[in-house]
Amino acid sequence: MRHYKEWIAGYLFIAPVVVVVGMFVVYPIFLSFYYSFTNYDALRQQEYKATFNLQDQLQEYFMVLDMKNLVPKDLLSQFDPVDFVQAQLGIKLTERQIKEIKKHFNSKAVIDDFVNLKTDKNMSGAQFFSIYMRGNKGMFSKYVPQWLGMKNFIKMFKDPLFWATLKNSIIFSLFVTPIQTILALLLAVAANQKIRGIKFFKLTFYIPSITSSAAISMVFLLLYSKPGLINRILGYIGMPSIDWLSNTSTALPAIMAMNIWTTAGYFMVVFLAGLQNIPKSLIEASELDGAQGWTRFWKIIVPLMKPQISYVVTLGLIGTLQVFDQIYFLIKNQQNYTTSMYIYVTAFNYGRMGYASAIAVAFFTFIMVLTLLQRHFVSEESYF
Amino acid sequence: MKKRWHMARKISYIILIVYALVSLAPFVWALLVSIAPIIYYANGKPTGVNIMQWPPEINIFKLPPEVFGAPATLSNYTKVFEVTPFARWILNTVIYAGTVTFANLVLDAFAGFAFARLKFPGRDLIFMILLGTLMVPGQVTIIPIYNMMVHLNLVNTYSGLIFPKIASVSGLFLMRQFYMSIPLEIDEAAKIDGASIFRRFLQIDSPMALPAFATLAIYTFMGMWNDFLWPLIITSSKDMFTLTMGLNFFRTSYYTFWQLMMSASILMTVPMIVIFLSLQKQFVETGATSAVKG
Repeated sequence: MRHYKEWIAGYLFIAPVVVVVGMFVVYPIFLSFYYSFTNYDALRQQEYKATFNLQDQLQEYFMVLDMKNLVPKDLLSQFDPVDFVQAQLGIKLTERQIKEIKKHFNSKAVIDDFVNLKTDKNMSGAQFFSIYMRGNKGMFSKYVPQWLGMKNFIKMFKDPLFWATLKNSIIFSLFVTPIQTILALLLAVAANQKIRGIKFFKLTFYIPSITSSAAISMVFLLLYSKPGLINRILGYIGMPSIDWLSNTSTALPAIMAMNIWTTAGYFMVVFLAGLQNIPKSLIEASELDGAQGWTRFWKIIVPLMKPQISYVVTLGLIGTLQVFDQIYFLIKNQQNYTTSMYIYVTAFNYGRMGYASAIAVAFFTFIMVLTLLQRHFVSEESYF
Repeated sequence: MKKRWHMARKISYIILIVYALVSLAPFVWALLVSIAPIIYYANGKPTGVNIMQWPPEINIFKLPPEVFGAPATLSNYTKVFEVTPFARWILNTVIYAGTVTFANLVLDAFAGFAFARLKFPGRDLIFMILLGTLMVPGQVTIIPIYNMMVHLNLVNTYSGLIFPKIASVSGLFLMRQFYMSIPLEIDEAAKIDGASIFRRFLQIDSPMALPAFATLAIYTFMGMWNDFLWPLIITSSKDMFTLTMGLNFFRTSYYTFWQLMMSASILMTVPMIVIFLSLQKQFVETGATSAVKG
């Protein structure tokens, strides 16, 4: 009996989280896969929901101003339901839907209602079809994207912009991850030398990582502008002024530098904690053995720091591959987009959610394989 | 030997000081710009200050002090509230971050406790599946979630903004780890005394998990305060924007209002720095321990 109580309590306790994760992570993953095989168009998802006044629409369609003296027969001969739905109501139809309409649409009922002044009311596309279709109303109840099979993926492989953005994302990650890791490690080693004011340094380095990417982007927008601070300082060593963010060859490196600046401090704190965990006796022993400077760093410290390095590299890879905010704020030229920005623009600016989902699914698979590979190699190494 | 040590420490100091300057410089510059008066154009001639000037010509011995060769002013900070619904954006952000944080504390704690302390069929399997979802990047799920919100008519509402974020697997994981670290004997003793499961959760284990609650609260609040992608997608009208969305407002295609933009950036950063400085122990320690365990 006690057992069941514990079971019930357990399920009740986890239910909210399971429902939320199920609704907002698991189910959307499946939907994303489904979308990626369709031509899901965000601009069309309201087609059957948007409301209109049927009489107004019919009057416009027949070009009649006066509702008196209407001849049903004439109207019926003029009325083409497929044309009316597509051209007047703005609902795009598939081949199959057109066939159904030709077979089952009750044009006479529409005209009769129109002539008898019964159409002066607001309705949605779905309601319109449910009133005037004789059969198969379900086909016209909501927007259903068309199944495309692998077409989105084939299109993606031929899309030069997709490859350009993927290249940008990978370059971004390949530069930023190692540099921020090494910089953080260097700072941590420096901070580990019985330094005074260590607390001050830690706090200072941490601040960029708690500032919102939006605010940081705005500050760097100022610093990177043509008359901005960075050009001024570089001017001292004789470099010409560059419009860092508009120039396609410097925009991405500029954001990489900003990204390193944002994260290195946080990772430094992680490394410092690891360094402080290394037993002093180990370092002293290595000193007696004559290991100095770089040798000590590479042969003793780095191997002992493996868990932290692995953590930082994994976080770095995932974070940099998904970088979005800074790109959204600072990148102007689409040649400099990263993949996540390209997904966003395709889905939300152009409404091509099917194609965007295909890219997202492909990109997600890529990130996951990379993470698994990385984990595989790291765990294998740690057996040594 | 000793000499080399001195050398190493000297180099270390240089590295640290240089990087501290690099870390702080953008903030200092933003601060200077935010207190510089705005340039006005009179008779086609710019009158005012050149905020791109280098060095920034500071004179703190005057009253008011001078930046960029002009008297410093705080009027940009008040102006931010006049030209944009900045107060509304602060309110929206507080509602968003506050509600999400509160919901996470409750829901993640319940689930974390159940996964750590209760036995029920399928527990480990469910936990593994939940952990697996951590690998899924947000960009994969955001399109379907947005469509869901469209169907539920929740676009541009607080519910739509908040609802998808009310529980998180990483928060659940943090809470579970903490509940697991509480000695089992305490729990067992309470069980023998006849305490119900709910009582054990609420009155015995959770009070001991307060540091974990604090950590979860800080990280969630900060994450939501700084969140950009979801507000970008789900809010569409000015009065529903959060602060991160609002910052873009000071930039038009013709002109960027630098002084206002920097004031707004600083205004939204200061609360985070205050939280950070007052609770730094929590940050530095959890940041470090999560790495050791991870």
